[in-house]
Amino acid sequence: MIISRLKEFKDILKAVKEQNIFIIGCGKCATKQHVGGEPEVLEMKKRLRGSGKNVVGWTILSSACIISSWDEVLSQNPEIEKAEALLVMSCGGGVSVLSANVKQLVYPALDTESLGGVCRDEVVKEQCGMCGECDIHLFGGLCPVSHCPKGMQNGPCGGSVEGKCEVDERKCVWDEIQKRLELLGRLEVLKDIHEPKDHSKRRCRE
Amino acid sequence: MSFREKLLSGKFTVTAEISPPKGTDVSGMMKEARIIKDAVDAVCVTDNQRAIMRMSPLAACSALSQEGFETIMHLTCRDRNRLGLQSELLGAAHLGIKNLLVMSGDYPTKGDHRGAKPVYDLDSVQLLDTISSLNSGIDLSGNSLEGKTEFFSGAVSNTQLTEVALMKFGKKIKAGARFIITQAVFDAGRFSEFMDKIRDAGWKQTGIIAGIIPLRSEKSAQFLNKNIPGVKVPDDMIRRFASSSAPGALGIELAADLINELRGICHGVHIMPIGTHENTRKILEMAGL
Repeated sequence: MIISRLKEFKDILKAVKEQNIFIIGCGKCATKQHVGGEPEVLEMKKRLRGSGKNVVGWTILSSACIISSWDEVLSQNPEIEKAEALLVMSCGGGVSVLSANVKQLVYPALDTESLGGVCRDEVVKEQCGMCGECDIHLFGGLCPVSHCPKGMQNGPCGGSVEGKCEVDERKCVWDEIQKRLELLGRLEVLKDIHEPKDHSKRRCRE
Repeated sequence: MSFREKLLSGKFTVTAEISPPKGTDVSGMMKEARIIKDAVDAVCVTDNQRAIMRMSPLAACSALSQEGFETIMHLTCRDRNRLGLQSELLGAAHLGIKNLLVMSGDYPTKGDHRGAKPVYDLDSVQLLDTISSLNSGIDLSGNSLEGKTEFFSGAVSNTQLTEVALMKFGKKIKAGARFIITQAVFDAGRFSEFMDKIRDAGWKQTGIIAGIIPLRSEKSAQFLNKNIPGVKVPDDMIRRFASSSAPGALGIELAADLINELRGICHGVHIMPIGTHENTRKILEMAGL
């Protein structure tokens, strides 16, 4: 699941210069996180109208990032043609895919943060750093690229004190990695020196 | 005798931290360094410490070595990728810098450029490994160098180590750290436990240099506890400062006593003053160094 957060309304208002707006929500990740489902789209509509904008219509696509037929979307939502701009309440993937399909300018209503998931109904953030060379098994299933703000590959930095990270309120993932590897009986893998990541694998288009 | 020779020969070494200026004028830094000239074996020059932007340690080390100081250049993983780090290292070698102190580096949000992109392309173990490679005349991609480096590198460590932190400590040694400068020590007894841990792990060849922050007041102690990860000034020491009528003199005395105790325990001390080195010489003299 893609983790996103709603932008401040004042920032959305500052960016969107057009008067006639169509709002698109997303039925997948944004709905699950309550940042781009129906209640949030209706709230956005109310606030935009309250600020003098004309909301010509709205819809929730089943996935904003998977558009099989834009013509079908248009036939179901003819108001889109009347809009000068689209406000999309999905992750950056959805905003990009929609931008490639429509004539109008597309504005993002969310900021995309990380790649996460849902575990026992709890939304978990920063589960994968999308590094392009996954070796999470060497870290007991906890990705240091995404969990550690510094992406440390060979153990905790000096800012890890009593299980706490120096950057924010999070726990140091290295203590968690140690615990997990201990449970798995694989503590010895911590002694291996990990080579630097190959960043050419990250965004290579071949 | 150079810092390297002294440490390797088993003599007790004294180093002290110097910060490059926030600006282009090095006169304040030079004045600060002159206070401790001949009292220390080398000055350790910080690299945007606490993520606060300052002059590069490379330039600052160069200025200091022109005045006859031996330097230890700090190098963090925060601000440069592997290209930047290696080219900085080649430049440092060309300018005659012999000693390095490698560390991850405080996160940018701790400093004065909160929005800076955190690099951390290499971690401290990988950077030490890279330096070892440059010392053998080969870069990180396996290319041969025209002229190899001859760095004497060290790393940093907290003194309270979890199992996973101890494993990282071992990796630093394996990757080429010849000495370790620790986070500030206040209690020689607890520090001995750290030394036992290192000895038990079999890392006897590594020079361990204890960090010393001479306290100035109750306030300075509380500031350290709140803001510097890995630093813990004991509560009874804070109480002594709170009830002291001359906290400045108490700080000097406590630092000198501590250094005296550490002389039998580790291989050197590293003085990191709060603000200025005005008391450093006095502390070292009182400690008999």
